[in-house]
Amino acid sequence: MIVRAFSLLAAEDPTVTHSWLLPETAEIIYGGLASILVFGLLYKFAGPLAKKALVARTERIQKELDGAAQARTSSETDAADIRKTLGDIDSERTRLLAEADAQAAALIVDGRTRIASEIADLEAKAAADLVAAQGRGAEELRSEISLLASRAVPAVVQATLTDQTKQDLIEAFISSVGAMR
Amino acid sequence: MSKASIEAYARALFEIAEAEGHVDIVENELFRVARAFESNEQLRSTLTDATIPADRRQNIVDQLLGGKASNTTTQLVSLVVGSGRSKDLPAIIDTLVKRASSEKELEVAEVRSAVELSADQQKRLAAALTKATGKQVNLKVVVDPAVIGGLVATVGDEVIDDTVRTRLEQLKSRI
Repeated sequence: MIVRAFSLLAAEDPTVTHSWLLPETAEIIYGGLASILVFGLLYKFAGPLAKKALVARTERIQKELDGAAQARTSSETDAADIRKTLGDIDSERTRLLAEADAQAAALIVDGRTRIASEIADLEAKAAADLVAAQGRGAEELRSEISLLASRAVPAVVQATLTDQTKQDLIEAFISSVGAMR
Repeated sequence: MSKASIEAYARALFEIAEAEGHVDIVENELFRVARAFESNEQLRSTLTDATIPADRRQNIVDQLLGGKASNTTTQLVSLVVGSGRSKDLPAIIDTLVKRASSEKELEVAEVRSAVELSADQQKRLAAALTKATGKQVNLKVVVDPAVIGGLVATVGDEVIDDTVRTRLEQLKSRI
């Protein structure tokens, strides 16, 4: 039949047609048959390949989808971890800040106590130094007065001691010694 | 100088003075020389200076005592200075004075005064000290301006001090 169809085709003039729209009946038949044949061959030979390719594509897409889903899950896990870590960091930061505040407060209290103690010590020392300086000053003044007096008195006495007084002292000595026994 | 040497010098001087026949005068004069030697730093350093020849130091003694003390006194001091014993002059003289006093059974009474005592004052003072100490005293008066006023008497170990200097010292320590 195929051979007949080819012979018919060969017998007709290809440049002459019977309708401006429809092809010749034989063309339709042969064409249809050829198309069926082609489609059949395509279905038989290319179909499995196409089906396989589609399956593979489907699998690949599925795999990509699965990967994407896994990646998404992983990302969500990571995000959760990060969120958790952020939460931990926040709490750690809060804890550290609280600890730092506590330490700073303790340091301030300790510093104030120490400074107050040092101020008290310095005041006490200054007061003691003042008292000592006053004592020293008074002692030095007393000593200076004593020194001046001890230097001045002999000179004054010698200057005011007349010969008559000296004689009176000698006489008083003789009298007192004579009266001893 | 050992005590024995001092004793020997004192004995020798005493015997010379005794031989000359006026121990009392020499003893008094020597006593004054000893006190002057003790109180005068310049005199002491000059008479004990070994770099000055002995004859020159003796000349100094002659110049200082000539006409003011008896010849015997001057010669005795010159003798001690010439023999290089100037440093021990007060000790030798004090020993001599003690010896002279003990010969007369007297105790040396050294009295320091700011001014000279009259003969009458010395007589009354000797009597008063004899009465006070119970010992016959050989009074030796030293004029010492440092006393300022009053008297201080030393008889043996006993000291009777009523000087202005001591009173001032007491006042000073009280101040």
